[in-house]
Formats: sequence, structure tokens, C-alpha cells
Amino acid sequence: MLTRRHFVACAALLAVSGWAGHTLISPAAAQSADQGAAAFIQKLGDETVATFSNKSLSRDQAVQRFRTLLNAGFDVTYIGRWVLGRYWNSASEAQRAEYQKLFEQMIVNTYAERFVEYSGETFKITGTAPAGESDSMVTTQIARPNGPPVNISWRVRKAASSYKIIDVVVENVSMGVTQRQEFASVIEQNGGRVDALIQALRQKVGSRAG
Amino acid sequence: MKLARLSRSLLRTATVVAFALTATACATNQADSGATDAAYRVNDPLEIPNRFVFAANEAADILVIRPAAEVYVGVVPDPVRDVISNFIDNLMSPLYIANNLLQGNVEGASNATGRFLTNTILGVGGLADVATEAGIPRAPEDFGQTLAVWGVGDGPYLVLPLLGPSNLRDTAGYAVDTVGDPFRIWAYGTDHKDVYLVRGMVGAVDRRSQILREVDDLRRNSVDFYATVRSLYQQQRRAEISNNKAPATPEFPDFTDAPKP
Repeated sequence: MLTRRHFVACAALLAVSGWAGHTLISPAAAQSADQGAAAFIQKLGDETVATFSNKSLSRDQAVQRFRTLLNAGFDVTYIGRWVLGRYWNSASEAQRAEYQKLFEQMIVNTYAERFVEYSGETFKITGTAPAGESDSMVTTQIARPNGPPVNISWRVRKAASSYKIIDVVVENVSMGVTQRQEFASVIEQNGGRVDALIQALRQKVGSRAG
Repeated sequence: MKLARLSRSLLRTATVVAFALTATACATNQADSGATDAAYRVNDPLEIPNRFVFAANEAADILVIRPAAEVYVGVVPDPVRDVISNFIDNLMSPLYIANNLLQGNVEGASNATGRFLTNTILGVGGLADVATEAGIPRAPEDFGQTLAVWGVGDGPYLVLPLLGPSNLRDTAGYAVDTVGDPFRIWAYGTDHKDVYLVRGMVGAVDRRSQILREVDDLRRNSVDFYATVRSLYQQQRRAEISNNKAPATPEFPDFTDAPKP
């Protein structure tokens, strides 16, 4: 029979072991990963913060800067193709071209606003680890002036001489996977027609461009 | 008398567990095609009814829950909301401890116990989250996660009325957590059902109030919000089940080596 005193003693023991475990584990060994990828994220992040801290930019200028940074830091074409998954193969050249154009526009529409409204968020790199065969996962923590910090990981691929981001993972949710499943759902809902997705994107982009 | 009540609730828990296991056992036997795209396939055979419930939930959210959360944020000051959120989380601690133990996660159980004791004693009955300050962050564990650790598969995706996205396994887990919740057992045993109800409603509004902007953004930016939520739910659950230690890594092939004609 488990008495109350027993229970409290066990609980206290568990608690103490928890505390002890924490202090022992905390200084994690530094991972030997691609430091170039981390440096790339640091530089891109610094540039982004510097750009959007500058509140003298007009809205259009800021959006334009965002687009420049986006294409400098991200392999948007790769992401667009990856997100379309197997439907890429069934799309015609014309469809692919229009899809890629709309995809880039949608990213700008979706995220530019967030950066234009920049209000003092800061970031720090919390780790770098190898991912897959040739990529690095750079984890960062974004501190917000209001609200708890957000953990964001960037999957970075080395292309020729430069680095490019090919996926963003926000609190364990991959933006690429989410979009891939969303796009697949739209296409499947419409009998496997890629045109249906293009139409939906056109509406989305058009409705926010004006 | 108390013992009789306890054993009755334990018996009820056991029944629900047994039901959950049989229900989810069927779900695990799903054949896996093994194709590359299978990783992004979603097990959603009930998509049509799910979409229907989803639409109803959306309506309820837009008409009632979201406005309530906005009022909550507007009226209740930040520190008070923190206190409420801490208090409710602390009430759930026994479930976190139990589920950690059931998963054989001793470190998790000791952390959850440490959090519970620290916040209850130093945090004045759970009003202050002292443990997080001391380096033991919140780490909810539910019975759906426990079932997953035991090897039970997701089962079909389900959208529950008002509760939102789930799947067969997590629904069973939710039922077990509800029945086994010591706070509920206390509330029902001592005729304080209204207190239990209030906790449920405040908890829901509090949780909703923490993701006001995120949900707004997603809604606005999605071409298929139902599919977005379904994807988010699955990815987040996977991370919760593995306690963020084994992130799902999708494959990112090198497209440059395969030029398309």
C-alpha cells in the first residue's frame, strides 16, 4: 500500500533527480558542422534586421528590399519545384513557368508584410547540425518584444560558391511540407489538375496585389 | 467511500483504455505503399465529413471563440493571463507525470514532477511558473502521445466538433486523459462540475488567445486552409511524440542532376 508519505518521498526524489540531471546535461558538446552555413544565416539575418529597422523606407521600397533579400537568401525556384512534388512532372513548361512566378509572388505577399512591420525582433543562432547528405540545419531563436521566443530552423544547401535556404522549420513545422500538402490537396480536390492550383494561386496573388 | 469512488474511476479509465487500444489497433494495420510521396500522403478517408465539421468549427471560431479570445486579450492584463495559463497548466501536471511514466520516460516524469512541486510550492499553488524560469520548460504529455510511444499508429485524421484537428488515436487518448484527469475526478466527486466547466472554457479561450495572429495569417495566406491545418497538426504531433528529438526530415533531392526534357 502506497502511503502518502511514500508518495511525497518518491515525488521529491524524482524532482531532485530532475534538477540534478539538468545541471549535468546542459553544457552540450559543440557539434562539428558546416560553419559556413551558420555564418551565411548570421549575415542574412543581420542584413534583414538592418534593412527593416530603417523606418524611412516607403512601403514599396521595403517590399522591394524584401524581394531582393528573399532571392539572395532562398532558392525560391528549388522550393517551388519541391513543393509541387510529383505534380511537377505532369505540368507543362508553360504551367511550370507560371506556377513558379505565382509561387514567388505569393511568398512576397505573405511574408513581406511581416518584415515591413518589423518591431525590434532579434535573433541568435543556437546551433548547426548536418542534415541529409549535403545540407545543414541552422537553428535560430527569434526573440520578440511581446510574446515568447520562436524557434526557427533553416535548411541550408551549398550551391557552387554560395549558400541558399531550401526549407524553413518553424517550431517543428516545415513550411515546405505544409505547402506541399496544401498544394497537393488543392490539385487532388480538382481531379489532379495542376491548372486548378495555378488558378487558386492567381486569385490569391491577384486579390492581394491591388 | 473515497476508495470506492477512486476504484470506480480507475475502472472507468481501464475500460476506456481497453476501448482505445482495440480501436487504434485497427488503425495501425494500415498498409504503407512505401512510395516516395507516401511521406506526404495524409490518412484522411473521412475527408468529406471532416471538411464539414471543419467548416462548422470555423464558423464557431469566427463568430464566438475568436471574438471571446480577443476580448480576453483586451480586457485581462498580460500578467493576469499568464497567471491563469500557469494555473491551468499546473492543474494538468498529474496527467503529464502519469503519461511520462507510462511512456517509460523517467527524465520527463522527474521534470514534470519537479515542475509540479516547484510551481505548487514556490509558485503559490501554480500561479507563477517558477520552474520555467529555473530551466524546466513546459512539456505537456497526453495519452495520445503515450499510445504513439507504445506503437499505436495515427489512424484516420479526424476533425472533432469544437475540439478541432485530431486523429483516431489522439481522440482515444483525449478520452482517457479526460476520464483520468484528477481535477475532473475531484470536481465530479465533490459536486463542483461548474468549476470543471469553467476551467475548460477559460482554458480554451486562453489557448486560442495565444495564437490569434498566427491563425489570422494562416487563414489569409492559405489556398486550402483545411489542408494547411491538417498538415500542421500532423507535423506538430509528430514532434510532440518524439519530444522534438527526432525531427521528421523530408528528402530534398538534388534537382540539378536530373534535367527535365
